[in-house]
Amino acid sequence: MFFLKNKLNFIVVVFFLASCSSMNVTEEKVYSGDVKTVKASSTKSSNVNYDSMAVFANATVYFEFDKSNLTSKSIQTLKSAVNALNENSSIMITLSGHADERGTREYNLALGQRRAEAVSDYFVLNGISPDRITVRSYGEERPVEFGQDETSYSKNRRVEIN
Amino acid sequence: MKKILLIYFLSFHAISELTLEITQGTEDPYRVAIIKFSGGDKATTDIQKVVFDNLLRTGEFTIFNNEDLLSIPQIEEDIVFNDFRILDIDFLIMGKVEDDGLNIAVEYQVFDISKAKKIRTSTVYGIPNKNRQLAHYVSDGIYQEITGIPGIASTKILYVTEDINFKLLISDADGSNEQVLLESTEPIISPSWSPDSKKVAYVSFETGIAKVYIQDIASGNRQVAVENSSQISSPAWSPDGKFLSLTMYQDGNAEIYILNLKNKNLTRLTNHYSIDTESSWSPKGSKIMFTSGRSGSPQLYELDLKKFNSRPKRITFDGNYNAKGSYLPNNEGIVFVHRADTNFQIALKYFNENFVRPLTNAQMDESPSISPNGNVIVYAIKDDGMGLLSGVTLSGAKFRLPASKGAVREPAWSGYLR
Repeated sequence: MFFLKNKLNFIVVVFFLASCSSMNVTEEKVYSGDVKTVKASSTKSSNVNYDSMAVFANATVYFEFDKSNLTSKSIQTLKSAVNALNENSSIMITLSGHADERGTREYNLALGQRRAEAVSDYFVLNGISPDRITVRSYGEERPVEFGQDETSYSKNRRVEIN
Repeated sequence: MKKILLIYFLSFHAISELTLEITQGTEDPYRVAIIKFSGGDKATTDIQKVVFDNLLRTGEFTIFNNEDLLSIPQIEEDIVFNDFRILDIDFLIMGKVEDDGLNIAVEYQVFDISKAKKIRTSTVYGIPNKNRQLAHYVSDGIYQEITGIPGIASTKILYVTEDINFKLLISDADGSNEQVLLESTEPIISPSWSPDSKKVAYVSFETGIAKVYIQDIASGNRQVAVENSSQISSPAWSPDGKFLSLTMYQDGNAEIYILNLKNKNLTRLTNHYSIDTESSWSPKGSKIMFTSGRSGSPQLYELDLKKFNSRPKRITFDGNYNAKGSYLPNNEGIVFVHRADTNFQIALKYFNENFVRPLTNAQMDESPSISPNGNVIVYAIKDDGMGLLSGVTLSGAKFRLPASKGAVREPAWSGYLR
């Protein structure tokens, strides 16, 4: 019988002929390897804050490569955001940290988180309740500029405040 | 011998489905004659071509076809071993395809020319519409018989693409037979195989933040690895499949934990104010390597799980960025992303050597993943800003996988499936 009747997905039979000790004789059947496709439905809540006052707190601050410390320019930006937040205590904010594409994806995810946490720490130190702040990171997954040069990279190393 | 190999590879550049770009070739490739398989139908031609491509891509063979030979045996009794010896051929392969339209099988034989004897005879039974997989099994049997190492043509690669949507895909090791595991409007990163290659873990941003999911490949059933409101990422399975190491952000900073998949208990492994992430397990599961920023730049560290309260030991010292490490299956070294100056390269460091061996030389190479036999590394490259997958063998051959739709990245090699 040339073909196996066996409907098992995967069988491997390896045996050595006693009469011919140095020759391998094998029989095997191909593994079916079925794949099922899944569609993930996004349950991501919109990060757009429709409160008109929130617009005053919207801002983006930028970072150096592999750094998460706030620059003096960033602090100027954050000061105005703190004022806007103090003027309307109903504003909730989301801090989204990002990295440029250089370096590994998981390290950049962690770096984006550190950047967002640095901004969060600044807000909390300046009297904003942590309950009003959501922190998250997209790492290098959501660039705003797609060039492979420092100009693009510098715009991607950012924390967006919405 | 080097020269012959180079010319041979280049001459097949145009017809090969894979883009082969041999940079140095193996020092001393096996010289193998493959007689045109008997059977005669289209399936025979297709199967033989896949076998040929698979063997060629290893970079370890110089292949002789019918037209390169002095005599062409149709049956075993016809073999004139001397005709092969004259051409310095080491091994001869003969095969026949039996295809009755419903069932298909390949029988192949391997002959050792120097010993003038048959060393293997094998039969692979196919299943409908899986002729490529059948050919991969044949290649792997031939490869193992000649080199003594299991072949990887029948293994799979998992990777992520981005065009309109993000997709997690699975394909054969040569990039063919692509199938979608997950499609999402939000990013997918860090795919990882379970040791039995039946499940995958990955990070999906579908809820708005990074979360680790575990998905069964055949059924599509999936679940969140840890029910928790904070960001979770970087999953890696322990070699016994019982644990998943993860990066958790519970206190705002990236720290590594081990999740017991059975009782869902979490054990914290790192505790440092800098970034700790990208954990991977040693082949026997006794150590965990990870990327840490604790020295001021990303470097690789190792934790001994056998010792209570052991401190992470730094293991990379050359270069200003060393990250995403994985252990060679024989535990003789590690492969990782390395930046010596400004370029990100894939590099190898053997534990018994005190220097780093760069394996690639582009500017933005990342996400190396090692084949289960330890011979090939697949990684992501940027070509004109576009993400593609590339491969390098430890014997020096380089190849590119055929471009999928959209930007391709983060390849992860399965275990053995045969």
